[in-house]
Amino acid sequence: MGVLDYLRGFRVTFDKLFEERVTTEYPEEKSPKPDRLHGRHVLNRYEDGMEKCIGCELCAGVCPAKCIYVRGQDNPLDEPVSPGERFGYIYEINYLRCIHCDLCVEACPTQAITETKLFEFSFTNRSDAIYTKDELLVGDDGLPQNLPWEDWRPGEDVATSAWMRATSPAGDADYVGTVGWSGELGYGVRAPEVGQFGEDPEPPAAEVDPVDEGGHH
Amino acid sequence: MSLDHDQTTDARVRERGDSAVLRMSESALAQLGVIDAPAGVAHDLAEDETMFINMGPSHPSTHGVLRLMLELRGEMVVRSKPVIGYLHTGMEKQGEQLSYLQGTTNVTRMDYASPLFNELAFSMAVEELLGLEVPPRATWIRMLLTELNRMSSHLLFMATNGMDLGAVSMMIFGWREREEVLRFFEKVSGLRMNHNFIRPGGVAADLPDGWRDDVLRLLELIPPRLDEYDTLMTGQPIWQERLQGVGVLNTAEALALGVTGPLLRSTGYAWDLRRDMPYLAYDKVEFDVVVGTYGDSFDRYAIRLNEIRESMRIVAQILDQMPKGDYRVQDKKVTPPPRARIDESMEALIHHFKIFTEGFKVPEGEVYAAVESPRGELGCYIVSDGSAHPYRLRIRPPSLINLQCLPYLMQNGLIADAVANISSVDPIMGEVDR
Amino acid sequence: MDALLAVELAYWQQTTLRVIGGLVAVLLPAGTLVYVYLFKMMSFMQSRLGPMEAGPYGSLQLLAEVGKFLQKEDVIPAKADRWVFVAAPFVVLMSTFLLVLVLPVGPDLYFIDADTGVYLALAVSSISVIGILMAGWASANKYSLLGGLRAAGQLIAYELPLILAVVGVVIQAGTLNMQGIVFAQADGEIFGWGAIGNPFFLTQFLGFAIFLIAVQAELTQPPFDMPVAESELVAGYMTEYSGIRFLLFFIGEFATAGVFSALAAVLFLGGWYVPGIDSDSNLFNIIGPLALFAKMMFVAFLIFWFRFTLPRFREDQLQQLAWKYLIPISLVNIVATGVLKVVF
Repeated sequence: MGVLDYLRGFRVTFDKLFEERVTTEYPEEKSPKPDRLHGRHVLNRYEDGMEKCIGCELCAGVCPAKCIYVRGQDNPLDEPVSPGERFGYIYEINYLRCIHCDLCVEACPTQAITETKLFEFSFTNRSDAIYTKDELLVGDDGLPQNLPWEDWRPGEDVATSAWMRATSPAGDADYVGTVGWSGELGYGVRAPEVGQFGEDPEPPAAEVDPVDEGGHH
Repeated sequence: MSLDHDQTTDARVRERGDSAVLRMSESALAQLGVIDAPAGVAHDLAEDETMFINMGPSHPSTHGVLRLMLELRGEMVVRSKPVIGYLHTGMEKQGEQLSYLQGTTNVTRMDYASPLFNELAFSMAVEELLGLEVPPRATWIRMLLTELNRMSSHLLFMATNGMDLGAVSMMIFGWREREEVLRFFEKVSGLRMNHNFIRPGGVAADLPDGWRDDVLRLLELIPPRLDEYDTLMTGQPIWQERLQGVGVLNTAEALALGVTGPLLRSTGYAWDLRRDMPYLAYDKVEFDVVVGTYGDSFDRYAIRLNEIRESMRIVAQILDQMPKGDYRVQDKKVTPPPRARIDESMEALIHHFKIFTEGFKVPEGEVYAAVESPRGELGCYIVSDGSAHPYRLRIRPPSLINLQCLPYLMQNGLIADAVANISSVDPIMGEVDR
Repeated sequence: MDALLAVELAYWQQTTLRVIGGLVAVLLPAGTLVYVYLFKMMSFMQSRLGPMEAGPYGSLQLLAEVGKFLQKEDVIPAKADRWVFVAAPFVVLMSTFLLVLVLPVGPDLYFIDADTGVYLALAVSSISVIGILMAGWASANKYSLLGGLRAAGQLIAYELPLILAVVGVVIQAGTLNMQGIVFAQADGEIFGWGAIGNPFFLTQFLGFAIFLIAVQAELTQPPFDMPVAESELVAGYMTEYSGIRFLLFFIGEFATAGVFSALAAVLFLGGWYVPGIDSDSNLFNIIGPLALFAKMMFVAFLIFWFRFTLPRFREDQLQQLAWKYLIPISLVNIVATGVLKVVF
């Protein structure tokens, strides 16, 4: 007790004056985005350029926010859009409703819809918020389209299918680290995550001091 | 005369004319009910002695949209009544429209400070109805994530508690630490909050590459900061004077009101669902249940601070003991097949389709599953009618039950203590109102 | 001032100069304190950067905020007592401006050289209490009323330690005249060693500490910010003020902080005096203001450091501190000073 107890806290704030600040000066510098970040979706294409979406409406069926609208159509015989019988004719996602749970990414049987790491897409009117198929489809180089209100930085378009790859084993340890998906235009077949068996078989001896009962070192 | 529903904002009490009587009967719900008068205070107070104040739904320190009607004499709170419902969005009704696979996206948004606990309670309830046994790796991953979530929720508490009591620097420090934990969650599940990661049957994905290093980094970063908080706050005489003896609750009152969590433990009653009704793998890790002595706000603050340390202890043990193997139950009717098999097997494709559109059917029955969330006992009660949607989904929100004790905590205290009390109860209005 | 300038100025020119000087003397410290301490030091203490966008390193943030406040709608609650509501910020600001009148910035730079300068300063500083009460009452809002009542109790309670702490300085200097106090510190000696003069914070350390605590309370800064308890009363007596009126309170708060810090610098730290130069020198008319500014920044640093570290006192604890601890200690200080003054 006594005066000193009042003063001890001052040391903490005083020392902070000389420590590093944790602020990132956005938008000049951005925090690195992890691979699995759930951002804006894209509709992928196969390496030969055909669209992957077959218009099966699985994504619309599983969406908890009912934000996807899909209508399929038979592939025109002379100019098929997707390999197979049907393709996604109308495909719209309403980003005012999307909660980025990425259940649609898990649901898609052909890995057509995956998500990028872009979350900086501030549209300014409601009609811009409804992304049509033309806006969602990747370009001819396989890169997601950069719409006028989106803020893409170099490197954000890679790993567009990280969540799909993370959930591919669906819990089965035998499928961890195996490839179960087709190649993407511009990126080829992406590597799986290393997974639990790629780690050291023994957990590393803890380099951190053991945390004692009081949580102190 | 226009109908002024919020009559309680007047500084002077109006004379009861006819229209006033009509208004009062119409707004009878908003009137302070009769609760036991505090000892030594006459129940029928003269009208010009007390002032009604509305610590309204939009207020810097009511932790969300909690409306607190206070009857003040000077600065002393004579009676109080919490009014809730300002954040009600019909989540439980919505839960009846969603399948069990989509259900976690809904439930996770109730207690938004500790979303993984909601998902865990829901998943455990569904698994019990289905009779599933979750593989060990899934159990341990769940334990790791929920303990980290407990840490982040308690750090949020420390930030808001400090802010409410005037220590503005504490606010930023608390959020700074929480950012680190949220960064880890973003690496694991792709989202910082409302992760939809713990599903019925296991977890959605395996832990990402390099997760050990991230967790070790967290374990190194946070303890020195907690010691900083101890220096800045716990030993500070002003802090102690503000919190000690404020909002005292005793065990009998707490049990009668159904209060759980740090509030109950602060009264000296050692009840922690992780130890007394163990779920997941809590019987295989060592941790202490932190208990208070005086039942006041300082005890609650200290309990939560030490629970962060206990959680770190548990996380360190999980790092060593994490088993390998499946991370989701391999029941074909519940878990979708691995992506590689969809191309190989027609049955796998059909199961994939059915699970994602119709959902999996859950046998008839009702179940209640409870977990120890940072606020108390978070329970999920599901009534199933055999279809793929719950017939009734009900979450027992710890904050709602804990809010019941607020009038007792605030009796005969000052307004400044009212703020300290609300803060120490740490309600999250998302789960109170749902 | 005429002694300084070779040119004889007409009365209206002198008045204009004085008005401008007064405005600068009040607003410049306010602006500097807001930027350096509120924006930057607070942020650094909380491991963050603070405003960085407006101007280089956020230096023009205050300008941006002033602009923002100026263009807001002037809202006066319907039930508010209109004229009292409007007048309240001006009353608070007025006390700050009056306080600047007696502060000496250099041996020949002052507005008034009153023989009872200290008395005048402390008297006018109490006017702000009235302004705060006016604001609290006129807002027709229960939160404001509570804030105003708390403020009245707190400010009146802490006037006494403020005054009593200064009495020790007055005894030691032997005069109520502010310039006299500065000269007493400049020309004084510590046991015969006159190199740095005799700044009163060395002997009046108790008085200095009490003065700082009392100033913290007079400014309603944390840990004594019950009247403006942001998390309880929204903004206390300032809740209903928006736009320019809030800006007046805001600037007033920081201007008062600056002026009180300058007062503390004059009373305890030696004012415009810098050791090493003869106190009669004319050089002090140039470096005096700078020295006083630097000392004011130092005292303000202490005030703001307190603000960002400590949680808030509850009113009863606050009153206890004033009446039961600070006043007795300051009385003891006075007695000790008097005794030692006679002995030495």
